[in-house]
Amino acid sequence: MLGPILETLIGGLLTGVLYALVALGFVLIFKASGVFNFAQGAMVLFAALSVARLSEKFPLPIAIVLAIGVMIVLAYAIEFLVLRRLVNQEGIVLFMSTLGVAYFLEGFGQTLWGSDIYKIDLGISKNPIFLFESVFPGGILIDPEEVAAAVICAILVTVLAVFFQVTRVGRALRAVADDHQAAQSVGIPLNYIWLVVWATSGIVAIAAGMIWGSKLGVQFSISLVALKALPVLILGGLTSIPGAIVGGLIIGAGEKLAEILLGPLLIRWFDLAGGGIENWFAYVLALLFLLVRPQGLFGERIIERI
Amino acid sequence: MANEVTAPADTFPRLLVRNARQFADRPAIRHKDLGIWQTLTWAQVFEDVRAYAVGLNRLGVKRGDTIAIVGANRPKLYMSVMAAQVLGAVPVPVYADAVADELAHVLVHAEVRFAAVEDQEQVDKILSVAERLPKLEQMFYDEKKGLRDYDHGKLHPIDELIAQGRAVLAQDASVSKWLDGEIAAGKGLDTSIILYTSGTTGPSKGVVLTAKGCIDAATDTVAFDHLDSHDEALAYLPLAWVGDHYLNYAQGLAAGFCMACPENAETAMQDLKEIGPTFYFAPPRVFEQMLTRVMIRMGDAGFPKRQLFHYFIGVARRYGETILNHQPTPLVGRLLYAVGKVLIYGPLMNVLGLSRVRVAYTAGEAIGPDLFAFYRSLGMNLKQLYGQTEAFLYVTAQPDGQIYADTVGPAAPNVDIRIAESGEVQFKSPGMFVGYFKDEAKTKEAMTADGYVKTGDAGFFDDKTGHLKIIDRAKDVGRLNDGTLFPPKYIENKLKFYPNIREAVAYGDKRDFVTVLINIDLTAVGSWAERKNVVYGSYQELAGHALVYDMIARHVEEMNRALSEDKVTAGAQIKRFLILHKELDADDGELTRTQKVRRGFVAERYAPLVKALYDGSREADISTEVTFEDGRKGIMSARVEIRDVKTVPVATALEKVA
Amino acid sequence: MRAPAGSTVAAGEVLLSVENVSLSFGGVKAIQDVSFDIRKSEVRAIIGPNGAGKTSMLNVVNGFYQPQHGRITFKGTTRTNMRPYDAAHGGIARTFQNVALFRGMSALDNIMAGRTLKMHRNFFWQILRIGPALAEEDEHRHRVEEIIDFLEIQAIRKVPVGRLPYGLQKRVELGRALAMEPDLLLLDEPMAGMNLEEKEDMSRFIVDVNEQYGTTIALIEHDMGVVMDLSDRVVVLDHGAKIADATPDDVKRDQNVIDAYLGVAH
Repeated sequence: MLGPILETLIGGLLTGVLYALVALGFVLIFKASGVFNFAQGAMVLFAALSVARLSEKFPLPIAIVLAIGVMIVLAYAIEFLVLRRLVNQEGIVLFMSTLGVAYFLEGFGQTLWGSDIYKIDLGISKNPIFLFESVFPGGILIDPEEVAAAVICAILVTVLAVFFQVTRVGRALRAVADDHQAAQSVGIPLNYIWLVVWATSGIVAIAAGMIWGSKLGVQFSISLVALKALPVLILGGLTSIPGAIVGGLIIGAGEKLAEILLGPLLIRWFDLAGGGIENWFAYVLALLFLLVRPQGLFGERIIERI
Repeated sequence: MANEVTAPADTFPRLLVRNARQFADRPAIRHKDLGIWQTLTWAQVFEDVRAYAVGLNRLGVKRGDTIAIVGANRPKLYMSVMAAQVLGAVPVPVYADAVADELAHVLVHAEVRFAAVEDQEQVDKILSVAERLPKLEQMFYDEKKGLRDYDHGKLHPIDELIAQGRAVLAQDASVSKWLDGEIAAGKGLDTSIILYTSGTTGPSKGVVLTAKGCIDAATDTVAFDHLDSHDEALAYLPLAWVGDHYLNYAQGLAAGFCMACPENAETAMQDLKEIGPTFYFAPPRVFEQMLTRVMIRMGDAGFPKRQLFHYFIGVARRYGETILNHQPTPLVGRLLYAVGKVLIYGPLMNVLGLSRVRVAYTAGEAIGPDLFAFYRSLGMNLKQLYGQTEAFLYVTAQPDGQIYADTVGPAAPNVDIRIAESGEVQFKSPGMFVGYFKDEAKTKEAMTADGYVKTGDAGFFDDKTGHLKIIDRAKDVGRLNDGTLFPPKYIENKLKFYPNIREAVAYGDKRDFVTVLINIDLTAVGSWAERKNVVYGSYQELAGHALVYDMIARHVEEMNRALSEDKVTAGAQIKRFLILHKELDADDGELTRTQKVRRGFVAERYAPLVKALYDGSREADISTEVTFEDGRKGIMSARVEIRDVKTVPVATALEKVA
Repeated sequence: MRAPAGSTVAAGEVLLSVENVSLSFGGVKAIQDVSFDIRKSEVRAIIGPNGAGKTSMLNVVNGFYQPQHGRITFKGTTRTNMRPYDAAHGGIARTFQNVALFRGMSALDNIMAGRTLKMHRNFFWQILRIGPALAEEDEHRHRVEEIIDFLEIQAIRKVPVGRLPYGLQKRVELGRALAMEPDLLLLDEPMAGMNLEEKEDMSRFIVDVNEQYGTTIALIEHDMGVVMDLSDRVVVLDHGAKIADATPDDVKRDQNVIDAYLGVAH
């Protein structure tokens, strides 16, 4: 029994890394601009489409570089056409505007790149690796793509952490998140900061989109990944990069384990069908968290002077 | 040049010479400048002080002059003390927060010609009373801010004096020689400093201390607590208080340890954390504030953390003190304590800035046994001392390993203590003062014919431990009709250590036995009532509740047992008590504005109750005028129950009655 | 806190002039054809009843609002409107009526943020934390510590500003503005909501900044005592229009001003 559980756990953790990558995009933008970016899922789809279609014409590395260019242009467009017009508006207004951006991107992505299912070939073997064959009968099966995802995620997180914690830009980002007007008054160029954040978030979206795309094929349903990122955010806290990672891992591992451990119990005790646990587990967990620790595992404690 | 000074180190300048040679590169003074800690070594301090002394001399400072030192714990002010002493002048520190009038009183009385001050605020204060100070010639200041546009005829930045002195020393070798001569000329029996008492009782008096006395006393306690040049203290106590001059200045010079000056008064707690001193003194009030801060933070912490905290604090209370005192402790206790140290005590002490403390003292007022035990159980070597300015601080001090919350320890090294017939504590000590400055009469009053200093405090030596217990101011101690000693404040303070008792007023002087009026603590008793499902609508109702009476009676009986253990206090056990129907209130004149009970006034106001306490009644009626919070006045009437409590029969007490 | 380089205006000359500025939101006229100037090294007060357009005026000067008409000349350069970045870059710093601090950051980081425009090293060096960037960071920290010392807020250096009492928040906000080493300091009700002692402290800081560093100050304030004590000249707005512009003493006697404050209809 231990072998399969371990296998599920590792598989779940690696899926969790993907959730974390998407959540990371959310956190970045929220931390730096106070905007809850509903368009993150659409950005992942758009990024995946860009890489897939560009890689048809160019070698993959060049396609990725070009896609990064596309995401930067996109970030600039969003900043110039939407955010700049909404400086100093309420959070809810900005949120609504990202909703608009989300639906526009989903549609426009298809207008630009087409609406079929496309493939991204990362050149990583799809053959599973077997580990610990001597310890467990049959060993533990691991998907190399998921390992690649974990490595990419680790690299991205390190770079971002340095960027946010160490540099002056990081301090400026936090300032902008706290108070737009005050940030402007000390000469922090709001437009530039937003461009940086959205572009960064776009690059994270490329990473997430490529990995998901290579796994499932690039198709419309990728944008729904964003929905899985919501419970991750609630668990980890909206403003915490480590929170996004840990939250992603917990949800990824949790839902897979729940499927194989909780499922049989529900069948045995309540005579239920027992399926679909993977679909709701994350949300129930998030709901529990909302009740107990609304700021999330790593979120900043909300201190308000009244 | 410094090597030429060979006289014994019985003056502070000669100690400084010794330290500059022996501990040259070790830190002497630290201070925080623009957010960064700066360190001065003994060699640097000595160099600066020499230059400063030359600068002062050029302004006319000479042997025998008095120099006021006014301000917070700034390195330049400590150096002012040193530089004055190098020249044989006498520093007179004044409390930084003294109002202009008090300041003027001290400056006039001490006939100061010079003043070294911290900043603009102190300069302004002195200027505001300038016409009362015709003798004041020059002022030197540390902090330049705001002083730029002042008339600098009589005002000099200390930095400038040091720079001038340094230039002169560099040019003229004979000045350096002359300075060495000045240091050599100082004598141990010269006046080293005059410390003015804070003057809570009458005008403040100038306590004259000699260099040799100061250094002998400090050398004794440095040895007593094994302090050396690797120790560090946070110099945050008022510069003019004997505690600072002794604990930081005199001990620092005697042991060669480093004193760190806090950035300012408000940052002291953070500076404590950053410096992590090894020697620490604080009055009980400060320890209490620290504990409150910890408790508030724990209250905000998550449930698991809070549980963990309380569990391990419990462990510490059970085993911590025996471990600290190297007494036998069960293995389980030691293991649990070790875990607690990693999880709770260590981080907690670190947050408070106390994790490096090797020796800590408290004094000034009675410390609650729980509070005292709390810090000791966490592994901090907190001890009590008893002292006063006239002794140059130490009269008694608790040695490591012999610590009791209710004693102040045996006589400090080379201190001779006796208890006078009246119960008053009297002492002779190495550091004792030579007299009050320009006050022959007061000096005579404070000394006995055979040269002991009268402390004005009543006390006795505890039978079990042989340690001194201070019970009250000598003049407040009364006698029961049978002649038994009656120390009201001692009894009241002991009662007030129970969290349920907020205030207590004891009667017994010229009466047959001791009785008390008690105020319960509404918060503590209120939460107790909540737990016990005791329903009450008001303070009055709660105070009169039978269960509350039972609880307080248990406290009083417990206290009687404690009193019975000492033959001096055994006769002063409480026979009857009552719980007042209202809280004593400063608005009604029952307390002073500083929240001290006005015993006489309370006795008058509640005369029917006090009478009932002594005539055997079970209850008594009282009606008093009260002032409500909005200023209205009204009459409050109540019937108050009176309880008898068990006393412990004591052989000696019985003998006296028989 | 030394005088910023590049300022070419001598004391007493006009540093900033506002000419015929009008600003409206939809149909509401916030400012109507207002002109006034601020001279180098003076303390200029802008007063007026609630809703007179004082804060709007500051927002125009500092580039938050773009006026429909009029011109602003700052240090000899005339613009029809300012952008916040240009204003900050040109040497205009400000504080806000309702304290606008970076709540998640410590007092120190807030004031450090005021140094943004003074930092020049690109962040490649910053990431590596070596060479010129490190020296520069130290230099800025030193400047910030001088401000902390000046404002006597050493004790709260590391405290997140969200936890500070209001009076101290205002002080930190002033510190952040001072960190910009501005030519022109705009203070929007620096003493609102303060107790007497805090007001006295703040007044002292304002006077010291003005006297010691020669910083030009424009302030909006409701406390008339403060305005009379601190300011050299006062401009009075009412319903978006300028109704007086004179010394404090003259303004106090001006019938229009008295009427406006008493609410007499014009």
